[in-house]
Amino acid sequence: MITRRALMSALSSRRIAEWVVVERAQEIAIADEVRPLQRSDVRSRFTIVVHHDVTRGRGSAKIELASLYGDASDVADQAIALAEAAIGPTWRSTPPAAPAKVSLLDPTLERVPLGPVASAFLRTTVRPPGATVSAAIEIMRERVTVNASSGFHTGWTATATNASALIAIGGRSLEVTREARTLDHASLRHGLADATRDLMLLAQAAPPFAGRCALVLQSDALLHGGGLGVWSVFADHANAETERQGLTRYRLRSPVAPGAEQIADPLTITSDGALDFATRSAPVGDEGDAVRRFALIERGISVGVGLSMREAARRKTDPNGGVRNLVVKLGSWTGALPARRTIEIRRLRSLSIDPYTGDASLEISLGIERDGGTERVITGGTIRLDLVGALARAQRSGTPLRRGPYSGPASVLIDDAELVA
Amino acid sequence: MASWNRREMLGALGIGSASSLLWAMGCGAPAKAVALAPQQASGEVRGWLRDAVARLASKYPTVHALAVTRRRTTGAVDLGGTGVARARRDGVVLTVRDRDGVWREQVTSDLSGSGVLAAVRLLAGDVAASNVQLPAPPPAPSAPAKITDLELRNRLDAIMRNDRAATSRIVYASALIDIDDVTVWSIAPGHDREQQLRRIRQRATRAAWNGTRPIVSEVERGWTGAIEDGGLDVAAVSRTSKNALALMTPGVFADSEATVVLEPEITALIIDAAVRGLLTTAALRRPEVSSRVVAGAQVAARGLTLVDDPTARGAYGGFVFDDAGDIAAPITLFEDGRAAGRLIRGRRPGHVGVLESGPSHLYLAPGTATPKELLGNGWLLEGKLDAVFDPSSDRIVIGAARARELIKGNDTGRVYANVELVGQLGALLANVTGISKDTETVIARDEHSGEPQWTSITAPWVATRGFVRARRRPS
Repeated sequence: MITRRALMSALSSRRIAEWVVVERAQEIAIADEVRPLQRSDVRSRFTIVVHHDVTRGRGSAKIELASLYGDASDVADQAIALAEAAIGPTWRSTPPAAPAKVSLLDPTLERVPLGPVASAFLRTTVRPPGATVSAAIEIMRERVTVNASSGFHTGWTATATNASALIAIGGRSLEVTREARTLDHASLRHGLADATRDLMLLAQAAPPFAGRCALVLQSDALLHGGGLGVWSVFADHANAETERQGLTRYRLRSPVAPGAEQIADPLTITSDGALDFATRSAPVGDEGDAVRRFALIERGISVGVGLSMREAARRKTDPNGGVRNLVVKLGSWTGALPARRTIEIRRLRSLSIDPYTGDASLEISLGIERDGGTERVITGGTIRLDLVGALARAQRSGTPLRRGPYSGPASVLIDDAELVA
Repeated sequence: MASWNRREMLGALGIGSASSLLWAMGCGAPAKAVALAPQQASGEVRGWLRDAVARLASKYPTVHALAVTRRRTTGAVDLGGTGVARARRDGVVLTVRDRDGVWREQVTSDLSGSGVLAAVRLLAGDVAASNVQLPAPPPAPSAPAKITDLELRNRLDAIMRNDRAATSRIVYASALIDIDDVTVWSIAPGHDREQQLRRIRQRATRAAWNGTRPIVSEVERGWTGAIEDGGLDVAAVSRTSKNALALMTPGVFADSEATVVLEPEITALIIDAAVRGLLTTAALRRPEVSSRVVAGAQVAARGLTLVDDPTARGAYGGFVFDDAGDIAAPITLFEDGRAAGRLIRGRRPGHVGVLESGPSHLYLAPGTATPKELLGNGWLLEGKLDAVFDPSSDRIVIGAARARELIKGNDTGRVYANVELVGQLGALLANVTGISKDTETVIARDEHSGEPQWTSITAPWVATRGFVRARRRPS
């Protein structure tokens, strides 16, 4: 049987420069109205990170264990063998720092059995009249314990919820999902209300015409696919390794796009891994590195990158836990639209972003086209954008939106985009 | 670029070294886990499950016990060395249905007598065993042959040696062998089943720079059976290098409606998107899908017949019985272009995840033409990237790594990277004008919540018509 103590003992007894063991003891409850199903799962998982120094340099290995059977000594030997296959230049880890202070536990889920809570969540979900809704929810409570070779030790309890629903009106349907740390934030009420309105609009939608236009991205389009949505382009570009190699457009101390620092309300983005109840928050990372709040972009200028333990050592600074939740500074855009053709995108079908250039394709699921005095609902068509430049120069609304790992404006206005039918 | 070291190159390409290839797949665990531990011997597991079923049957009218023990052996080799990792996952899913029709599942990773009993107690309390009648146990399947680290390394080296097209422009080359050994027990009143499957996949990866962008090319083969039953031959590995080295035509791709010939990888991408978006029980919950996919409706060109067949010999996605315990049987989805069936068989990711319907081994029936006979004027689309399908609007966007220009069936030498085939799925399927008699099989080992789902698709070359455009914004 593999236990955390057995792993620590096995790793300590070998000549390993540094190691970290993370144990996650998880309880998961799922309730699903469709089947209908109530499911309960109890499991333990381990993450082991090993840094192994040899004369040629340092090798690192990361192992995920999903089975408790076997011998901890074999796991330690396997980790060393893997690390030896990945020897690179020598570096030294920074000493452990204090974990970030962050709340990740929904107090209402701390001690209760999760199954009945999941069922109650579905029972109390408010259904819009006239709509057919089938919902599901997964609730997880996990105890995380981190031990490192340096003697560093910390632990915390976290909760995570993932609620989803398929809402149908007439012959059309939409899916609504919410990922959150607390049951309150997982509520589907507002999402279902928005979906109801959008389903009504979809019934009258027509294909769009190709051409240039101004673009408004509303919250569901802005955060398409969950997570950071369109803002993920900045998280990708702020990866320290790719930034150092010059593979992205992101250059420290340079504007993120030409002229981005000269507009009236320049873009400011902060990575905050210590944001209470945000889905990517944690006191420490998997390498035992303390998670920190740091600026990525300040008034249109790139000022920070996500630093892993290794990358921080190379830059002779402290690690910051990498890019996590993004906090985008609110703007002053009041919602006023330009006089020319404007498309307000309410929902996307898909969003694909080129990791090297930031070029993006946005497939429109539902939009409202306004041109002069005319207004029509559209569906279909693709928007092609230089997403980095477009968001850097976009006007941001002053209405805040907090969802999953994102905190920032609820909508943005992009002055110029190309729509291809 | 010459000053870059290997680690930097790998990071830049988004791919890993032999070691990081293994971590990326969550590998690494007991190196000695190949032999079954005594307590996991088939008879003992069956005893625990039969006892669990007998106890649960005293309280619930519908009972099913599913147990899995899964071992994964992964070997990878690249410019920096060879690594072998082994991982193990056990799980038990006890499923009951109460008199109100609600399904309840208790899942545990503790595959032991006490672990199964604890799961029973969580589900039903301290109940005594009923005298439910269970059929006689089947004969235990024969255990697959052991594969040593040395044998795995030799096979990896053989894949690397099969490359006859590599040049100094290849900046990264790797090979991977991934073996999943799975034993599944399914016991319920009325049946007692056991299956043992060995799924093997082999992959070769090559990367080269093309201007300022890296071009990564991969080939993958997979099957169920013995490791000797298949593999990556010289032609397949050499073609991967050639694809990575192919020089792209500079300039802007002119978007246009055109005749396209889809190589089997791309055909498989469309089939997969269509089946998942239209024919699974989850998809059919959408009213816009259920109203469209009516049995007998003409949804594709005549001649298109699509079957989901988990019983296909050696299929990577095949199995003997599904995770609901039902014996595998083919389901015809399209018959001569008409909707004929729906995917209702139950599959659980890793045999322990949440039950959902999905494809196993899809087979698009071949036509009569040779691939060369399909080529006319238009584009040959090669190298799958991704597919986005919106079932509510029927719009599909298929990403292809390369578009080769064809005139009168001949390759003009003009080849563009990163293109998209865009349109309505219904139109793409209805516009099919030719299907080749040759087929290729594409496999996938997708992860859902960290658990694997094995699927495979056998597809021919297909000629159809659609809108082809550049994926990237013209600069």
